[in-house]
Amino acid sequence: MNQWIAVGALALMGVGIPLGMIAVSSLIRPSVPEQGKSSTYESGEIPTKSAIGIQFNIQYYMVALLFVVFDIETVLLFPWTVIYQPALESGVGLMTLLFPMLVFIGVLVIGLVWAWRQGAVKWARSEAATRRKTEHNS
Amino acid sequence: MTPLQVQTFPEAIAAMLPWSGLWVDVLSALVGTFLVANFLLLNTAVAGPWAKRKITAAFTDRISVNRMGPAGILTIPADAVRLLSKEQIIPEGVDRPAWDMGPILIPFSALLGFAVIPMGSGIQVADPEVGIAFAFAASSIASLGLIMMGYASNNKYSLMGGLRAVASNIAYEIPLVVTGVSVILFTGSLRTSTIVAEQAQPLVTLWGVSIPQWFAFVNPFAFALFTVANLAEVGRNPFDIPEAPTELVAGYQTEYSSAYFVLIYLGEFIHIFLGGAIAATLFLGGPAGPGPAALGIVWFTAKIWAFYLFTQWARSAIPRLRVDQFIEIGWKGMLVLSFANLVLTAVIVGVLA
Repeated sequence: MNQWIAVGALALMGVGIPLGMIAVSSLIRPSVPEQGKSSTYESGEIPTKSAIGIQFNIQYYMVALLFVVFDIETVLLFPWTVIYQPALESGVGLMTLLFPMLVFIGVLVIGLVWAWRQGAVKWARSEAATRRKTEHNS
Repeated sequence: MTPLQVQTFPEAIAAMLPWSGLWVDVLSALVGTFLVANFLLLNTAVAGPWAKRKITAAFTDRISVNRMGPAGILTIPADAVRLLSKEQIIPEGVDRPAWDMGPILIPFSALLGFAVIPMGSGIQVADPEVGIAFAFAASSIASLGLIMMGYASNNKYSLMGGLRAVASNIAYEIPLVVTGVSVILFTGSLRTSTIVAEQAQPLVTLWGVSIPQWFAFVNPFAFALFTVANLAEVGRNPFDIPEAPTELVAGYQTEYSSAYFVLIYLGEFIHIFLGGAIAATLFLGGPAGPGPAALGIVWFTAKIWAFYLFTQWARSAIPRLRVDQFIEIGWKGMLVLSFANLVLTAVIVGVLA
């Protein structure tokens, strides 16, 4: 049997079960629309503007960029780890197998060190917030 | 090396039927996956409304649910009905298709990851060659659901929670996968049945007892790294900054009620079990254990529950990290350690071979 038929069937279950629960819930739940109920939660206050378009820390963008680099690296690691043991057993030299990957990882580690020194993985501090701070503990 | 041919669960069902052909395959796949999915839902139902409360109560010296049935076990159906019969409130200004799709994606990704996990007693949905890579890939679809929920909710808490969830998933995904890949160096195959079969080999014999070659024994450092990264990946304490109830209300799930709330929780619990299942497959011999092989499903369930208990223990015992500490531990600590582990494992495997 083709293995992916079963995977597809499980994917179908993964969509079907949530949809089924939504359907059951829609049959038994009440609907009492009232004014004020539908405003978003902001600690009981009337929400200020919309949440779409608010400013957030640039750091999220920096780590996401770093992730793209390392994610592609892990993709390239997978085939190497799979052939590693069989290739050793069939007599390929250790340095022939290991050295190129060490260079590859080394290049990426240099990249990480660079990003580290640039402060890409250090949480950016808001200068305005630091100025307004009343306690000094750092 | 010819791959081990393992009969998967749908194939076993198809073999029992008197017919053959594509439609029988599809039918038996649907039946098999339905049973597997319901087994997981059952585990989640016990874990979510009942076990979680009981465990936390035991840690904090309180009495928890005890009104319905023996030890309060009947609170599970009661809570399921209660939660599903809540009113669905759709807040103003939510981004509709994305807002609805997020809560479906979370349980979808967690269930899909179980497709390649060998659960013992011949229960395995599929055994493709990509194996464990598929489990990692499927479980990380959840990040997409989290950012959709956070962004579409039109709520500042949700947006911050969604961003933090993605930041945490991507920071700990790399250590998780790289540490997981260090196991593949021993097995030479991504196929989960091969990984499990490899771990059945004896490692040493102590006092007449043969210790199997579980990779948690072979490389305990990798196992420790994997467990920590796994804890972050499922977003439990001390890495639960995406939800951080004291800072962000409930993070990305603030605006969800009724069925969507149930689905998000369901997805998170299946995710914890998936994390435990991947750890069991890679490091703890999958469904292996003492006794006959037919007991496999029991051992598998025990292992995923052990991981669940570990997450709940951590939840009760360890304070939450700050977001800056969290990011720095992920990128400066875990990432470097996981690459060190990979290189060291490769060197050791190469020297010993």
